Amino acid sequence: MRVTTALEALSSCSGCEIAILNLGEALIPLLIEQLDIVHGPIFMDHKYYGQCGDDGTRLQIPEAVIGIVSGGVSNEEHVEVLQEMRKKCRVLIALGSCATQGGIPALMNGQDTEQSFDAIFQTSSTDPGAGRPDRIVPKLLDRTCALDEKVVIDLQLPGCPPNPEHIGEVIMSVLEDREPVLPTKSVCDTCPTQRQGKGVVNSVKRFVENAEFDPNKPISDMRCLLEQGFMCMGPVTLAGCAKRGVPACIEARVPCRGCFGSVRPKGNQLLGMMNALASNGIDYTSVVDRRSIQRFCGAHGNLRPKKKSAVKVGI
Amino acid sequence: MSYEPKIIAFCCNWCSYAAADLAGSSRLQYPPNVRIIRVMCSGMVHPEFILEALNKGADGVMIMGCHLGECHYLDGNHITMARLDMIAGLLEDFGFESERLSVTWLSSTEPDKFVKAVTEMTERVKELGPVLNEVQTV
Repeated sequence: MRVTTALEALSSCSGCEIAILNLGEALIPLLIEQLDIVHGPIFMDHKYYGQCGDDGTRLQIPEAVIGIVSGGVSNEEHVEVLQEMRKKCRVLIALGSCATQGGIPALMNGQDTEQSFDAIFQTSSTDPGAGRPDRIVPKLLDRTCALDEKVVIDLQLPGCPPNPEHIGEVIMSVLEDREPVLPTKSVCDTCPTQRQGKGVVNSVKRFVENAEFDPNKPISDMRCLLEQGFMCMGPVTLAGCAKRGVPACIEARVPCRGCFGSVRPKGNQLLGMMNALASNGIDYTSVVDRRSIQRFCGAHGNLRPKKKSAVKVGI
Repeated sequence: MSYEPKIIAFCCNWCSYAAADLAGSSRLQYPPNVRIIRVMCSGMVHPEFILEALNKGADGVMIMGCHLGECHYLDGNHITMARLDMIAGLLEDFGFESERLSVTWLSSTEPDKFVKAVTEMTERVKELGPVLNEVQTV
């Protein structure tokens, strides 16, 4: 018998669903023999009201064994859908960085909500009379949350997008009733670039010029990008993006941007990176716009509106 | 009801914890808002400890260590000091006023200095008010 599965996308871009499709040929036996998708608005035409044979006055999602939710929670509709998913699914999987740690939508947590809305709806270029929408569209929460801030999540699968192989592994682990085998180390741990030792670099720069490398030679002949002085987030980012043996960005000879989130669950990439820079004698003030280190993990209170400017701490 | 802040103080085993101990046995009075956590050295207080304390409901964090040059581990408190500016700046990134963190150097024979630091910090945090936006997970 096939296992019932419900898919739901909240504050997301559908990239995670494309990552599911990117399972490729492995997806076909999964769909034919293993999974029975009973709900998945992003793939098929499904209604929230009345689809379970009820009177259609309440949001309903059919019962399922596996529930896969992508995207963070940023408005009241998302909360309602997520709570219904939790009620109806035995195993709830958070898919993608938005679901596990806020992702791109949570960037908004870093600035004042009121100001953002004024900027979006009432700039000088909008037509006169424009106001903030307050009817029909669901009300926004005070901040964008990861799923585990609202309901209990059984399995976390970060990545922007997640690695299709891991999606397969997580689904198989649920079907076979075992723990999934996922990476637990940092991007650096899976990176083949040459590390020749610390101490040469004392500041980091943005990636506005190209790294030094020979395009005719493999990645393993290129020097570590952090050692070349670029702000690479490999040391504090969870591994898993390596699809062909090399972390995805490094394969394109570009520094890691940290999309898989912190290496340790509930870790903090900004603190980790700054602490690593400071304790290795690298000038941490050379990091331009350091808050952007949290670009994929703004939920869990990691990004908040800035407080007043620095007052020197007394020593 | 008046607002009573919660303050976490990381005291090093060798100087500041002993100072707190002496303050107690000398029956000195200080605000009960401070909760002391003994650590072996102020240099082992990772920035994540401070952030976690604030995220989980503390209103202020104090780090107390030996006087500079008198560290039991020679340079532990110099490491603390090297991190200070960075941590203060980062606290603002995370939406906390940098005044919520204070650092005090004191020796084990200075209970009065301990009392003064705790009193001042309590006053300072009272003025700042409680931390809003506590992070909660299910």
